[in-house]
Amino acid sequence: MNIVVLVKQVPDTETKIKIGADGKSIDTSEVKWIINPYDEYAVEAALRLQDSVGASVTILSMGPERTVESIRTALAMGADTGVLVDDQATEGSDALGKAKVLAAALKSLEFDLVFCGHRAVDDDENQVGIMVAELAGIPHLGLAISVEVADGKVTIQRPIEGAKVTMEATLPALVTFGGAHAVWNPRYASLPGIMKAKKKPLETKMLADLGLSAADVGNEAVKVSVTSMELPSERQAGRVLEGDTAEKARELTRLLREEAKVI
Amino acid sequence: MQPGHFPANILFILIFVAANGFFVFTAYKLYRILRLGKPEDRFDRRSERLKSVVTFVLGQRRVIREPAGWGHFFIFWGFVIISIGSLETFGVGIYHGFAYWKFLGKGLTSLLYLLQDLFCAAVVVALCVALYRRFVVKPERLRYEDQKAVNQDACIIIGLILLLIVLLFGARAAEYLLAQGEAGRYFPRLAFVSVAFSSLFTGLTKEGLQAWYSFCWWGHTVVILGFLIYIPFSKHLHLLGAIPNVFFRRLSSVGELSKMDLEDETAETYGVSRIEEFSWKQLLDLYACTECGRCSDNCPATLTGKPLSPKLTIHHLKEHLQAKGKMVLAQQGAEEAATANPEGELARALIGDICQHDELWSCTTCGNCIENCPVFIEHIDKYVDMRRYLVLMESNFSPEVQNVMRNWETNSNPWGLGFATRGDWAKGLPVKTLAEDSQVEYLYYVGCAGSFDERAKKISSALVTLLNEAGVSFGILGAEEKCCGETARRLGNEYLFQSMATELVEIINSYGVKKIITACPHGYNCLKNEYPQFGANWEVYHHSEFLATLLKGGQLQPQQGMDKNLVFHDSCYLGRYNDLYEEPRTVLNSILGLKFSEMDRSRNKAFCCGAGGGRMWMEETLGDQKINDARTGQALQLEPDIIGVSCPFCTTMFEDGLKTFDMDEKVKVYDIAEILAQAVTSAKE
Repeated sequence: MNIVVLVKQVPDTETKIKIGADGKSIDTSEVKWIINPYDEYAVEAALRLQDSVGASVTILSMGPERTVESIRTALAMGADTGVLVDDQATEGSDALGKAKVLAAALKSLEFDLVFCGHRAVDDDENQVGIMVAELAGIPHLGLAISVEVADGKVTIQRPIEGAKVTMEATLPALVTFGGAHAVWNPRYASLPGIMKAKKKPLETKMLADLGLSAADVGNEAVKVSVTSMELPSERQAGRVLEGDTAEKARELTRLLREEAKVI
Repeated sequence: MQPGHFPANILFILIFVAANGFFVFTAYKLYRILRLGKPEDRFDRRSERLKSVVTFVLGQRRVIREPAGWGHFFIFWGFVIISIGSLETFGVGIYHGFAYWKFLGKGLTSLLYLLQDLFCAAVVVALCVALYRRFVVKPERLRYEDQKAVNQDACIIIGLILLLIVLLFGARAAEYLLAQGEAGRYFPRLAFVSVAFSSLFTGLTKEGLQAWYSFCWWGHTVVILGFLIYIPFSKHLHLLGAIPNVFFRRLSSVGELSKMDLEDETAETYGVSRIEEFSWKQLLDLYACTECGRCSDNCPATLTGKPLSPKLTIHHLKEHLQAKGKMVLAQQGAEEAATANPEGELARALIGDICQHDELWSCTTCGNCIENCPVFIEHIDKYVDMRRYLVLMESNFSPEVQNVMRNWETNSNPWGLGFATRGDWAKGLPVKTLAEDSQVEYLYYVGCAGSFDERAKKISSALVTLLNEAGVSFGILGAEEKCCGETARRLGNEYLFQSMATELVEIINSYGVKKIITACPHGYNCLKNEYPQFGANWEVYHHSEFLATLLKGGQLQPQQGMDKNLVFHDSCYLGRYNDLYEEPRTVLNSILGLKFSEMDRSRNKAFCCGAGGGRMWMEETLGDQKINDARTGQALQLEPDIIGVSCPFCTTMFEDGLKTFDMDEKVKVYDIAEILAQAVTSAKE
């Protein structure tokens, strides 16, 4: 069985975000890049199937050269091969553009399952996985917190308000992953894993290799675009009220009424 | 069978050769087991090593740190002196006419005999005290899960020694009487204990005396030779292990860890998961242990009920080494043997069966075990080597450890806060980065706590105040600074540590830095003692020693007194690791009115705050008390206003401890830099 995991490289969640000069993108000069946490859950899910049913796991990503580091990280965790679409022309793609690139890359790969995070923590669009499924013509199961494969079917569990649903789809299928770190607890690469990852095959492709042209994706083809970005206003320092309980309560009421204007 | 006459001498020679032969045979086997270990170079600085043997073996320096040790002192020297006498005894066994006085003269022999008598008597007293301790006092540290076997072993040893001394006195008493009025025989009257014993034999005929003499002589000799045979099988193996162990001891900082070769492409495994993967010196430690329990008596984990007792770790490893070692030597293809006999020793896993996971992870690497071991057994690197296996090979550790490791990887600090904000603590303070001005004398390496922890940032800014006040030329790395990796290393992640170390050395060297000041004892120890392994060549100062020097030189003059009671807590990595006990005290003593008290467990016996060895980042769920609460409780007994510390992690641990006791309003925790900064600057305000 072959599993392809779509991995996006995103800024570390602790990165201090600065808005770029154009006012609609972020300044990446001081960004530390990591694997999108939800994609990391997808990698972990794939590796668990690799352990249990012997799946072969391929990491597929798109982005500039630095993305290699994230693919190597996933290879160190235990994935078998990597594919990176690294083409300047893909820059500025919207979700659909990215989905087109990934779907095109999938065509050249053998797969029974495609895994990815339900969203990437940078732009939070929740779209690429679903679009890839549509473009590849395969069913999509969303927000999995568990996954099993048997008899040509994939079965997932997904939390819904106050309960869990179990859903299944016939292979090939695409599953997006939800949950949290504590649910998946992605494995920490062992040293032999890191050593082996250096030698695992990692193929880099251009748009032309996928049968796409620059006009299909990137800035030219966007249907949705970012018009501006702004940071939330800086949080004011908290205030500690002095005095006895009655005084504090009186002062708090006054502040809520006069300053915060909420009561 | 009169000793030394034919055919008794032939019989004696046969027994003597057989016993020694057997001893050499078993000792050689132990040596071969030792050689199963990995190579390690401990042959440098030989004169220093010999000096260690003189101080710590002959002088018994560490043994006599406590009263019970004096018993050992006399047994040890009694053993040496009895052994000198034994040579004469053996000589007599070969030829009856052999006697020391014929070579040494009567005067010297008299003195020697007196000494022997005195030490024999002292040994008897010491052995009685030992029995009393073991069976009446029953100190905690002599407790084992296989108590019966351990007690039995102790009784055999103590019994044999008592027996051989009594028989020796018997033989000498008879000899004294026989020597009276027989030309060519001599026994010094000065050996008054032996002479006193002779009253037991008064009224016996010469033949009767001769028979008693022969009986006691043979008895004494057989017991000594029996003892020789028994030693390698008992905990008295330390008679063989201890002296070389002191000689080969680590001369560098306590708890130093080996640099792993991570470039070796042929390596199949990292860390230690099988006993023979330890180095020969780590195995020699096991032979040297006599299970006195001083390590566990001072271990913060043991004392708070964690599933770790360094004494038991060594005990279990020793038993495993001997059982497994013999089998490995006896048969090639140990793996097949393990498969064939899944119940056997070969199939027992070092990690999991012999040592438990919780045991390895409970160690705070505080070094109290090593510091208190009379024979310099090195416990810490064994725990860390096994952690290395679990981390590097199996990624087997708790989720919070994984989390902290990821934080180091992405943001080079354990909190995982954005690396670009590392220098933000210094915003608005009069301090420049090396990028702004690299022509400074000192780099102030702030470390993770001082950069990111709200509480420790105050220590950083106090130190900046003091350095500026003293006119020191210094700068920081700001956002360019990285974690030193000390904690990652102690958690067993040598790979992460080495990549961090390489990176930090490169950054620091790129500015041509020669001298470094730091306020974190962990960073201090790492930069000073471990970074030379990675191409660092710097003078590194902890702020306690640096501030002490500034005070001595008059560059800092505390103006404002402080009418407070202070208890000072020694940081493990400052004290035991780097021998800096006086310096922080010098800083505190410079402040007028500050009343200083010391906890029972202070200086080299200081009790860890609980944060070392990566424990800072792990949940403390086991045991009957948290280590920091235990230590805070010890400090609170002295009713301080202030708990003085010299480490940001100790600061956190005490502040948490004070909350447990609901004393955080009444008692404050301050770093020495904060206290000094207040004394230096408050007068000006």
